[in-house]
Amino acid sequence: MVKLEVVNPQAITQVVSVPLAPRLSEITGKRIGLYWNMKAGGDVALEHTARLLEERFPKTEFKHFVGSVGASMRHATAEDAELVAKDCDAVVGTTAD
Amino acid sequence: MSWVAEGFIRDAIRSAENFGVPTVAMATMPSPFTNQSPGGVESMVSAGIDQVIQGLTEPPERGPAVDAGFTTITEPMLNFEGKDLLDTMEVMNRQFLEWRWSDGFPLVPPTPDRVERMMAGTTRDPQDVVTTLEPGFGVATVEKIAANAVMAGCRPEHMPVLITAVECISEPVIYLRNKAMSTGPHAPLILVNGPIAKELNINYGVCALGPGSISYANSVIGRALRLVMMNVGFTYPGVSDMDTIGSPIKYSLCAAENTVASPWDSYHEDLGYAPDDSTVTVHFVYGTCELYDFQNWEAEKLVQGFASAACNTVQVSTGKWLVGRRSDPRYHTEEKEHHFMMICPEHALQFHRQGWDKQRIREEMFRRARMTFEELMIGQEPKAFEIAHPEMQWLWDSPKTMLPVVESPECYSIAVVGAAAGRGAFFWGAGAPVTRLIKP
Repeated sequence: MVKLEVVNPQAITQVVSVPLAPRLSEITGKRIGLYWNMKAGGDVALEHTARLLEERFPKTEFKHFVGSVGASMRHATAEDAELVAKDCDAVVGTTAD
Repeated sequence: MSWVAEGFIRDAIRSAENFGVPTVAMATMPSPFTNQSPGGVESMVSAGIDQVIQGLTEPPERGPAVDAGFTTITEPMLNFEGKDLLDTMEVMNRQFLEWRWSDGFPLVPPTPDRVERMMAGTTRDPQDVVTTLEPGFGVATVEKIAANAVMAGCRPEHMPVLITAVECISEPVIYLRNKAMSTGPHAPLILVNGPIAKELNINYGVCALGPGSISYANSVIGRALRLVMMNVGFTYPGVSDMDTIGSPIKYSLCAAENTVASPWDSYHEDLGYAPDDSTVTVHFVYGTCELYDFQNWEAEKLVQGFASAACNTVQVSTGKWLVGRRSDPRYHTEEKEHHFMMICPEHALQFHRQGWDKQRIREEMFRRARMTFEELMIGQEPKAFEIAHPEMQWLWDSPKTMLPVVESPECYSIAVVGAAAGRGAFFWGAGAPVTRLIKP
């Protein structure tokens, strides 16, 4: 048998870690952010999400957000995310396809 | 918490891991929300609303166990066995296909000796970190780039071009995460300028973009960049490259400029580099069509034909300026959508004889490549237009107003490439090209 040793072409990865936001103990009375990246249909999905949540959890408030940069996909900057976090108790997003 | 279509679950889980939130909450729906009627979107949301409630109130667990779609191995060396050398090479190739590390064509084994020789093509240390490549945050050391260069069939002298191309795609303005992971067929078009193009025999003439032996250097350099995107950047098809159909130009797309036949300063001189500087330009492009015209010699007629290539409603960059500019939110970059024009020498000479320089062509393209507002908005989100250009909302009342398909004349990048006969190439671009000086 012939042996072949090769250099692994796959890179080592840099590990990134972001702490997850705490979950809500209850939804009623909370303010929920609705983040849309402008891809088609995401706005309809978020509107309906809000409608269904409101039916089940009255007095819940909703606030819509889009990112401050981008084109057909609008992205949230770190500053945008900070503002949303200050303003809302939780966020539901439609961020891709 | 996030809504995710079932076809993108693997991508979403992998992305969440890469971006540092492996336990992000997701609600799944059977199809993307895009291209659905409002009723279709609402029924998917209704079916999945319990997942949203769960995601908002219960600590999320790691995403559902799904096949990662590719194999990760951290050992620096790998071993294969076969009955003879050729058989062993095939064993390695089969294994790399199974691990999803291959572009689909046979790979040259990156043996320690070959990688060592490849690294002799650069003065940089093997463990020098050139950059970190998204979407997988792979650390692009010189050694890892060299291993992929060996697999692609490169020679050591190609390394400086390849390393510079890797630097180009990691520039924040390129926003690699967007181009690597998209459902669109983003292909890195490489243009090499300066003396190194001749030294490396990078084809600028007949059949410059390949295929063929005369485009060997072009083919392997372009291929190596794709392999680096895969094995260093973790841009693996079906996992973190969600290209809906794919494209043959993603395998390899590299040329030099035909400065021998060009009547103008070269592309890199236009950017302020000296003729003796060697540079690499990378522009992610979606696709290509011909700039064919055997009939005309008048500059006005030639450019009128060229302008029609830019007027393609179903190309994503057409009229995109109406809804904003591509941007990486981390760096607040902004990219205008550029198109790349490879003008053939025959046409370039005709333009030159009539006193047209590249700037004149750019201006004429800008002036002539126009479409009505309503055509340009066919595939655009009206709310995005409202945010990007509140001052232009009057256009809804004048839908037949003609508008340029790109934002400014500079959005047409021009290089002379190719051989005799009136056929150039037009590339619909994604964002702007990036050029960097090649260092040894």
